[in-house]
Amino acid sequence: MKSTSSEEKIIKKRRLSIDTQSPLLRIFSIVAFLMGWYFIGVLNLAELPTPIETLEMFYTLIVSGEPILGRTLQTHTTASLIRVIEGSAIGFAVALPLGILMGWSKRFERFADTMIEIFRPIPPLAWIPLAFVLFRSFDNTRILVQIFIVFIGAFFPAVLNTIHGVKSIDSSYIESARTFGSSDLQILEKVVLPGAMPSIITGIRIGLGIGWMCVVAAEMIGGSASGIGFFIWSMYELGGGTAEIISGMIAIGAVGYIMNEGILYTERRLIKWR
Amino acid sequence: MKKFIGIILLLVMLGTLSAGCLGPDEGESTPTPTPTPTETETPEEKILYVAAMKPADMMAQFESGDIDGFIAWEPYNAEVVVNGNGKYLIQSGEVWNNHPCCVLASSDDFKDETALKALVWAHVQATRFMNDPANEDKTLKYAVEFTNKDEDVVEEAISNIEFTEYPDVEEIRTYYRKLDENEFLKKTLADLDYQSEDEFFSDFLLSTYYDEVAANLTEDPEWKPDPVPNSTVVRIGYLTADLHQVAIYVAQKEGFYEEVGLIPGENLNIMPPYSNGPAVMEAFKNKDIDVSYLGGAPATLKRINDDTPIHVISGANNVGSAIVVGKDSGIDTIEDLAGKTIAIPGFGTVQDFIVRIVAENAGLEVQLR
Repeated sequence: MKSTSSEEKIIKKRRLSIDTQSPLLRIFSIVAFLMGWYFIGVLNLAELPTPIETLEMFYTLIVSGEPILGRTLQTHTTASLIRVIEGSAIGFAVALPLGILMGWSKRFERFADTMIEIFRPIPPLAWIPLAFVLFRSFDNTRILVQIFIVFIGAFFPAVLNTIHGVKSIDSSYIESARTFGSSDLQILEKVVLPGAMPSIITGIRIGLGIGWMCVVAAEMIGGSASGIGFFIWSMYELGGGTAEIISGMIAIGAVGYIMNEGILYTERRLIKWR
Repeated sequence: MKKFIGIILLLVMLGTLSAGCLGPDEGESTPTPTPTPTETETPEEKILYVAAMKPADMMAQFESGDIDGFIAWEPYNAEVVVNGNGKYLIQSGEVWNNHPCCVLASSDDFKDETALKALVWAHVQATRFMNDPANEDKTLKYAVEFTNKDEDVVEEAISNIEFTEYPDVEEIRTYYRKLDENEFLKKTLADLDYQSEDEFFSDFLLSTYYDEVAANLTEDPEWKPDPVPNSTVVRIGYLTADLHQVAIYVAQKEGFYEEVGLIPGENLNIMPPYSNGPAVMEAFKNKDIDVSYLGGAPATLKRINDDTPIHVISGANNVGSAIVVGKDSGIDTIEDLAGKTIAIPGFGTVQDFIVRIVAENAGLEVQLR
């Protein structure tokens, strides 16, 4: 009898304490956030719509759209997302070969490093005015500017992580491959690329995330006519659209989250050895 | 090399994957049978595209051919007509007779009657000065200094503007109804604690100071209100290079402010220019300014949507916007605007509604580009 009761106690104790892996913690954090938000709205601490009002607006924006601009939330989000994919794809197409080359060759690294370190601290948004001047002669200046800003945002994390990935490969692997008579090309293919892959994917993940932030900001400036940033800014300028603004922000957060998780998932599938 | 090709493939995959991220977002909407009005299929030849941007961007995009035309406030329209390859398609006054434009507004927190009367007086004096043909040369000189544009541009622009002392109340109400009809208003007047439209407008369009000043001036053209004491500080705002608001500059240069005790730099604090009306309304909300020149459109829209309490104490101008298109664009009538893109300075602006009226008259549907 006694032993069972003590066993029960242990079980009870176990039930009360939350396991670190438990999804309950995540749910609690969301609930706590929503409650804080709700009270700020209800107590009028700031001019905020309540979470429920915002959710209703979010739903309306998805289903029937917003009457003034005449578009749904997902139309705006898609427009932004296409730009991010275009801009960061170009960014990665330049960054990955460059990063591998820089990680591979000390001489080339010294050559390219300076310029990268000079350009890296310049915030992507600071490029907007120059980008407008650069792309002035093209037909669709605005869109090119936004793609360019995403390119800048996505490029640097990708190139730095690629360099890091290539350099962090144990030199003994390369040495032993060479001892067995592998050519440079074979070493690159069989040793360097697989070894650097996790780091490269991290670069892509961070690059896409920064690109996504950049596009939203770029759409708020400079004669934009579509995209989620444009939507939020228009709602602000019209006034009284706080629920619309927050709905737009939720869409940004959701897409960013899904993008990040998607790449993490791909990474787990692709790189099984890690 | 297979691995490298693999990376490229991975990139493509990531692309499709992130495109796939839209799935859940879009999935919810695709089955909905009711698309928004503008997303229904309308043939290209029945659409007039609009894009919202700053006037400075309009000029650049017009020159690069990115947009087919634009409608802004003066002197931007006149500038491309005089210096560039633009021509007027239609003046805003022809579309919407006597439509309101810029106004002088005061914050509800600023209730100093002496100062408000003095400000209205200085504004009326400046407006009468500009409307007096005898002062044409001086007005032109001031306008050139104020806008920093070429003299022939400013001369052309001034001829399109009607400087006024108080806006046409009926037209502001028309504008309000247009906002309401087009679902621009997020709040009702009842939300703002007004029982009726009349009650709202008699509070929003506060003409008492103007009426008093105008009546006194009719009796005695030399009449001046009591001077503002040095201890009363007034913070006044205006927009960058908006020729409609040149009165603030004329009143400084001709000494109208000083005549009523408002000394610029001492008790008249002229704020750095704001870039647009919404920025001015934000400044009102943050209590950064006491009075300001701004467009009647953002004043009305944000008065209601953001419940920013202000009063229109004077008018600055009526009409004075125009749709400008390329000289050789082949756009000669409003019907020719089909399939073209016209830039507007913002949604819900007077210019936005002028484009909407034009589109309606031409049998076109307005869509976002």
